[in-house]
Amino acid sequence: MNHLKKVFRIPHEKRTTIFETLTGLFRPTHYETFPALRDITFTVAEGEMIGIIGENGSGKSTLLKILARIMKPTSWTVSVNGRLTPFLELGLGFHPDFTALENIGIYGTIMGLSKREIAEKAEDILDFAGLEKFRDTKLKNFSSGMYVRLAFSTAIQTDPEILLLDEVLAVGDIEFQQKCMEVLTRYRNEGVTIVFVSHDLGSVQRFCDRTLLLHHGEQLALGETRSVIDQYVYGRFAGTPEDAGAGMNASPVTSQGKARWGDGKVEITDVKFCNKFGVESQRFNTSDAMTIRIFYEAHERVADPVFGIAIYSEKGENLFGTNTELKNMSIDSVEGNGHIDLQIDSIPLFAGKFFLTVAVHNRAGEPFDWLDMQYSFHVITTERYAGQFDIPCRWRRSV
Amino acid sequence: MLTNHMKTLYRYRNLIKTLAWSDFKQRYKNSILGYFWSLLEPLLMLAVLYVVFSNLMKIQVEYYQLFLLLGIILWNFLARSTTLSLSAIIGRPSLVQKIYFPRDILVISICITALLMSIFESLIFVIFMLIFQVPVSITVMYVPLIVLILFIFTLGISLAVASMNVLYRDVQFIWVVVLQAGFFATPILYPVTILPANLQQIFLLNPMAVIITEARNVIIYQTPPAAGSLLYALIFSVAVLVAGYLVFNHYEPGFAEGM
Repeated sequence: MNHLKKVFRIPHEKRTTIFETLTGLFRPTHYETFPALRDITFTVAEGEMIGIIGENGSGKSTLLKILARIMKPTSWTVSVNGRLTPFLELGLGFHPDFTALENIGIYGTIMGLSKREIAEKAEDILDFAGLEKFRDTKLKNFSSGMYVRLAFSTAIQTDPEILLLDEVLAVGDIEFQQKCMEVLTRYRNEGVTIVFVSHDLGSVQRFCDRTLLLHHGEQLALGETRSVIDQYVYGRFAGTPEDAGAGMNASPVTSQGKARWGDGKVEITDVKFCNKFGVESQRFNTSDAMTIRIFYEAHERVADPVFGIAIYSEKGENLFGTNTELKNMSIDSVEGNGHIDLQIDSIPLFAGKFFLTVAVHNRAGEPFDWLDMQYSFHVITTERYAGQFDIPCRWRRSV
Repeated sequence: MLTNHMKTLYRYRNLIKTLAWSDFKQRYKNSILGYFWSLLEPLLMLAVLYVVFSNLMKIQVEYYQLFLLLGIILWNFLARSTTLSLSAIIGRPSLVQKIYFPRDILVISICITALLMSIFESLIFVIFMLIFQVPVSITVMYVPLIVLILFIFTLGISLAVASMNVLYRDVQFIWVVVLQAGFFATPILYPVTILPANLQQIFLLNPMAVIITEARNVIIYQTPPAAGSLLYALIFSVAVLVAGYLVFNHYEPGFAEGM
């Protein structure tokens, strides 16, 4: 058995890229150094499942490779107690010229299993993959689906103590992913320590006790998964509204020709999206609150204006629209600068980019200012879902 | 450190075995004549060299066919191990970038694959020995030692070229030329005795020359090796192995990134 704690400490990792090797053996090569990871310190307790999230290029995979001892940190140390099974690629060491059985043997040996263990497991593996009939078929004659099934079932039979999981599981059809999740759950229940790198916040949310957030190689947050995901989705200033604005600016999309019209009596000067912390943001989590704040400037006193919005999908489908009139809100008049908020209690949309049209017009529908799909925001989902949007509902069953 | 590494390698013995054996099998899997090809290669080389050197160059050596064949097989082992090792690391990106095990295992397993192939080729040599009815004496007891020395020497060089080739891909081009030069600078086609005495001493500084010469002596000519010659070759080879490991360890941390 291994000890209770694993201490990782890896600051100052530098990666060098060298392209100029072919030109000469003795010519000095040019190095470009950039710190892929800086000052990362964390420990994972035995049986814990920790997630690592972050944008592309934030150092997630590098960190995993360092944990797996594939890369060496430039300074400081990593200590691991227990048998570590990296699961960074499916079908590692598989060779197309060998049969399924032979490949299971090769993979198992690479993973450090003994001959006997491999022999014992070979049947289970073939059985799980549903490939008993093809045990002596060369791998190159496998369909890609069979290949993945074999690779996966081989991989999960290695009885890991510590599992490093990269995004390999993100590939494959729904059934395959489902299987992966089942295995993950099983491992968790068996007390396997898991380090899980993923872009799929939903899985991270569901499985990980704690989560590490990386940003440009720096450890931005480490803690309870829910709050770390919030921080990732809403940027680094989440929870500190006074810092707002330094982060992101609402983006008026480049105005394309006729996307704006109206007589300009009331002008929409800006639109901001605010998250549940009251901080401006571009990214939102499904089912979180959101406020759309419309800034306007009325060049003259205008009576009884109507403010409205419409939300479009990326394909341009109109998903939703409303205005102050439909919501039975009447505004006596506007003059000068001001803003009006539309509060959404729970964003029903699932992952994607969405466009927003904002408009102000009179009761007759004649626009003062109409900005057609000029603003956009992103939604990230951490739920398991099917379809495009959430319909609030629950199951009931009476016996 | 040394004993530690030996222990680690011992733990990974299954992996070494599997890699070496699967590589060996894979080489012949898709050819109809299979293993036969590996016998044909030295035979063809022998035929060409024999025709050229026994008829045109008029080299007078007892059992010249055997003399030549043994030289070719031993040299081929060195040449094959080192050439295959050039891609030991860079040829297996998924193993290097996706999982950890001591990287020298990749080189060791290639040398073992090459050794298996050479042992297989030696069948031809045994058949030739029978055909020419060359008597065998007790001196063949030296063969395992000679093979061991050759293996140590080859592994040392293989480790060095394999690791350097990751960062400097031109090592593979340079190495081919070095091998060519080595082939002629080593008494493979000719006995070292055709050289003037002082030159002989210089040629025999080359451990491959010693290895091949002594292998011929003990196998074909029933002569025990010259005093100290094998000891010299052994010390030289161990030094090469140590140097090879130093080079390998120097470049090893950069493997995953350098590919």
